[in-house]
Amino acid sequence: MKPHRAGLLFASGSALALLLAACGGSSNSGSPQPTSTASQVFTYDTTATVMDDGWDPATEYSDAIIAMNNMYETLTRYNSVTHKTDPLLATSWSKSADGLTWTFHLRHGVHFHTGRLMTAQAAKAALQRTIKLGGGAAYVFTPVKSMSTPNQYTLVFHLSYPAPIDVATSAAYSAYIYDTQAAGSTASSSALTKWFNTPHDAGTGPYTVQTWNKGQEFEVILKAYPGYWGGWSGPHYKKLVFRVVSQDSTSAQLLRSGQVSFVEQVSPSVWQSFKGNQGIRTVSAPSWQNLLAQINSKTLSLNLRQAISYGIDYPGIIAALHGAAVPSSGLIPDGLFGHSTNLPNYTYDPAKATQMLKQAGYGPGGKALNLSLTYTQGDSNEQVVATLLKSSLARLNINLSTQSLAWPTQWAKAKSSNEANRQSIFLEYWWPDMPDPSTWFTNLLLTEHPPYYNISYYSNPSLDKQINKVDELTATNPAAGSQLYHAMQVEILQQAPLQALYNVNYQYAMRTSFTGFVANPAYANVVFVYNLKPTG
Amino acid sequence: MIVYVARRVALAGLVVAGVIVLTFAIAHLVPGDPAATWAGPHASAAQVAAARRYLGLDRPPAVQLLSYFGGILTGNWGIAIHTHRPVLSDLAVVAPASLELVTAAMIIALVVAVPLGLISARWPGRASDHVIRAGSILGVSMPIFWMALILQLVFAQRLHLLPVAGEYSPSLLFTHPLTRLTGFGLIDAPLTGNWPMFGSILGHLLLPAVVIAAYPAGLLTRMIRAQVLDTIGDSHVQMVRSLGFSERAVFGRFAMKLAWNPVAATVALVFAYSLVNTFLVEAIFDWPGLGSYTTASITSLDTPAILGVTLFIALVYVVANLAVDIFQAAIDPRIRLR
Amino acid sequence: MIEAPSTLPAADARLPRGQALRRGLGANPLMVVGALMSALIVVIALLAPLLAPFPADAGSATHPFLVLHPPSAQHWFGTDNVGRDIYSRVLYGARISPLIAVIVLAISCAVGIPLGVAAGYFGGWLDETIMRVTDIFLAFPPLLLALALAAVLPASITTVIIVIALTWWPWYTRLIRGQAASVAGRPYIDSCRALGISRWRIIFRHILPNSITPLIVQVSLDVGGVILTVSALSFLGLGAQDPTPDWGLMVAEGQDYFLTSWWVVTFPGIAILVTAFAFTLLGDGLRDLMDPKRIFLR
Repeated sequence: MKPHRAGLLFASGSALALLLAACGGSSNSGSPQPTSTASQVFTYDTTATVMDDGWDPATEYSDAIIAMNNMYETLTRYNSVTHKTDPLLATSWSKSADGLTWTFHLRHGVHFHTGRLMTAQAAKAALQRTIKLGGGAAYVFTPVKSMSTPNQYTLVFHLSYPAPIDVATSAAYSAYIYDTQAAGSTASSSALTKWFNTPHDAGTGPYTVQTWNKGQEFEVILKAYPGYWGGWSGPHYKKLVFRVVSQDSTSAQLLRSGQVSFVEQVSPSVWQSFKGNQGIRTVSAPSWQNLLAQINSKTLSLNLRQAISYGIDYPGIIAALHGAAVPSSGLIPDGLFGHSTNLPNYTYDPAKATQMLKQAGYGPGGKALNLSLTYTQGDSNEQVVATLLKSSLARLNINLSTQSLAWPTQWAKAKSSNEANRQSIFLEYWWPDMPDPSTWFTNLLLTEHPPYYNISYYSNPSLDKQINKVDELTATNPAAGSQLYHAMQVEILQQAPLQALYNVNYQYAMRTSFTGFVANPAYANVVFVYNLKPTG
Repeated sequence: MIVYVARRVALAGLVVAGVIVLTFAIAHLVPGDPAATWAGPHASAAQVAAARRYLGLDRPPAVQLLSYFGGILTGNWGIAIHTHRPVLSDLAVVAPASLELVTAAMIIALVVAVPLGLISARWPGRASDHVIRAGSILGVSMPIFWMALILQLVFAQRLHLLPVAGEYSPSLLFTHPLTRLTGFGLIDAPLTGNWPMFGSILGHLLLPAVVIAAYPAGLLTRMIRAQVLDTIGDSHVQMVRSLGFSERAVFGRFAMKLAWNPVAATVALVFAYSLVNTFLVEAIFDWPGLGSYTTASITSLDTPAILGVTLFIALVYVVANLAVDIFQAAIDPRIRLR
Repeated sequence: MIEAPSTLPAADARLPRGQALRRGLGANPLMVVGALMSALIVVIALLAPLLAPFPADAGSATHPFLVLHPPSAQHWFGTDNVGRDIYSRVLYGARISPLIAVIVLAISCAVGIPLGVAAGYFGGWLDETIMRVTDIFLAFPPLLLALALAAVLPASITTVIIVIALTWWPWYTRLIRGQAASVAGRPYIDSCRALGISRWRIIFRHILPNSITPLIVQVSLDVGGVILTVSALSFLGLGAQDPTPDWGLMVAEGQDYFLTSWWVVTFPGIAILVTAFAFTLLGDGLRDLMDPKRIFLR
């Protein structure tokens, strides 16, 4: 999953636009709707294919969360303002004194879209299946030893070590509560996956799938689920369309003419051009996403990694991105536990870099250092960063050859078993699956053979030990946990296997024809459409 | 005639076989592992091995070539990596939109080229002739991807005269959904009486079609001019002229008739040629045809899909060539002797 | 290849050569314009380091605090998404695709001429084999085969040169073969043979010189076509890579910004158009001058 969110210049769009058109026609049959559907339909303009990782809520681990979170609900939802979890399918919860037993009281009378009642048993079955499949972000439930259901509306988690399970149940992936008997009470888990992919949903959320036009511009169309527990009185959007538009220029035009309600991502300059436009609101929101440069620690010595880190023009990158980027400190973005501004961060210091390169025989006047960098194709911001990196490193007599690749290709190359095929620097975005910073460490820095997301190929046994205990420490002693995160970030900065180049500032643009939009970095780019109030 | 046709068909068959071998050779130049790409990023080593078996990549090259040949002939053109669907069914879905676009472009090109070519030939050497010749060379020198962006900027973004991109207006998806019969939107819409949709598709088609038309318009203008001038110098036409027919009649009735066949042949060839130009234009206009499919295949290094498109267009080209040759031989027996 | 008889009045063969040339040029002001523009482009390519206000911007330099500035007295064509002076890059671009075109055409001739002469002069099975191979290559529009190849090879200028040359040589083989076959069939060549003149001497002294004129015309006409093909491959990301100031690549990189910063796309595109136009005008005029009988246009 991690790659993307940036949209592929060509890959999305309308490659197979005519596909399944008949399907679109049939599901649309019935009375034609009034032409002025604007107040009824919310159109979400996205750059990349929405459902590219299947429809199974247990394992989906890609861009589909923007649709999934409108069909499915979780027990809790993270509130990025209060830094606490809010009730959703669970109305209240409590934990035992030792933090090992968590009791959730579920909302009464909620029905899945299949018509079945959402009970503690059903919720347990859903989470059990998700944990068993182990796909997506199922690892957030690692502390769960077992679950029990003392009554129809009470779900109890028994943990093997203390952990904030109410945060795990609010995760953006793999924490959905769904009907495991949707494909029949005896259907196997894989039969259920097949049923989901046909496509179906079995959530409790406000919307349910109407049409899936795979590969088409109007890819996913959701309609209101009449029996939604929140009810449909008051102004709400009744239909939700996910429209895949690969070109910024097209997105801009569609938003200006009101043909889409919300644009997820456009280049900073286009976003700036929306400012002051009649009928358009621009929202800039800090995110929990940063752009990482993962430095090949197998081929580049500590000295060279540090020299490269000093040779990156951080302020230049942020300036060139016109407000889409803000400086980062360490690995953990602002707003997450463990974020610290008091860290020995790198600054752009060519003199120091030159000096360090000289020690290794490189640098101006020495040997040329030839490095390669890969980034994700279609992301204009990454392209700018790659060009700037190349430029600032060239001043240090480092030849950086940059290559843009489609994400699967970029990743496959990084994981290549032939180490000579791997890149020196790997650019990718990273963000957490739940409001917790551990992912930057567990996924990116734990020793991995063969590499999966540890594209720095970094291995540090003492750091591994710290990473493995930080979760539990944080749950029992937050102050000590925070200190450990600080110590680990200091160590990473010193070792320089990867650098956070900047933190992403989300730049959304939307029509002023609705109110109630809240950017929640815990659910990157998700619009909870039910919470919006169409005004005209 | 029959001998000539048989010989041409046999040659075309040989060419097609060569084309298939060539595309197969290209497929084996690919660095990296198509099986790994196919299996996707989450795949284990076992899944990659299974994919390799499934895609037939574990067999010797000669066997693969033979089965590739057999596959092409029996309609199995491989499976596209980025859509996980058979390439041939993908092509069946995307080709109509491109054929529609190129047909529209050819009509525009002819509407422009025929009068300009005739005017140019009627008064050769005059200012009008120089301007038209320069214009036609400008047409064939146009970087059409750039022209696409500029026209989009001017007509769609600034003047708001035409839609920016897409195949039809999205609001019609709800009010007047298109029922697909032939796959050609401009045929299906009127067949089903869906006039709002027809108008919308036409509006969306215009800009990309004008862009694609740049090259054929330039080429055909020159062709027509050259052909007409040639036939005017022909002894046959000279005789007509000497019989006292007006210059207008010489032009309209005789010269054009003679010039028409080579022009028709050029139209057929440039049609196949323009299919390639859709690669540069469709993605800009989000036109859901071969070009968008190809650019998507390129970014995902989808070799089977790229080669499928290559093969398809090469076949169109060979068939167009063959048709032109046979057609010309049918009307001009001298050609058969060449 | 699309070919058709041409009809411009030929320069009168009986006139002295200089006079014929002057007459031809007078009848064809477009060619004069094309020649002047082509010369100007060559001069720009040669003098780019002197003409460009910011020569470093054609290389690895970037100016992140100057990004996307509109055209001004300092930056005539504005700046791009990493702050580089587009005017300087466009000037340096005259060194990229035109040079690629020259190399591609040289390789195509180096491959195409010997094969064409061999096929045309010797005939028989050799002719048949070579011609069938060219048939296969000619079954693809040049951009298609180049694109299919470039898509599976690593993107670089070298790849671009190889794939375009690979698709271009068959045209020359056919052209030369036709000329060589017609020359070889003429009676005076038979007399040469009868006189015991060596095969190589016949080829070099008689066949090649007689075949070369249409080839020169065709090559000059093709410069524009190759430049367009190079730009198209770059535009699709299959050619030159950043920071090479290739015009097609510059258009591709400016695509994401052209809505708000029109200058990023506009000027490199004009450079492609003007260059292809100039060389095609020149080639077209040359054809009219030297080879009045046929036009070849791709």
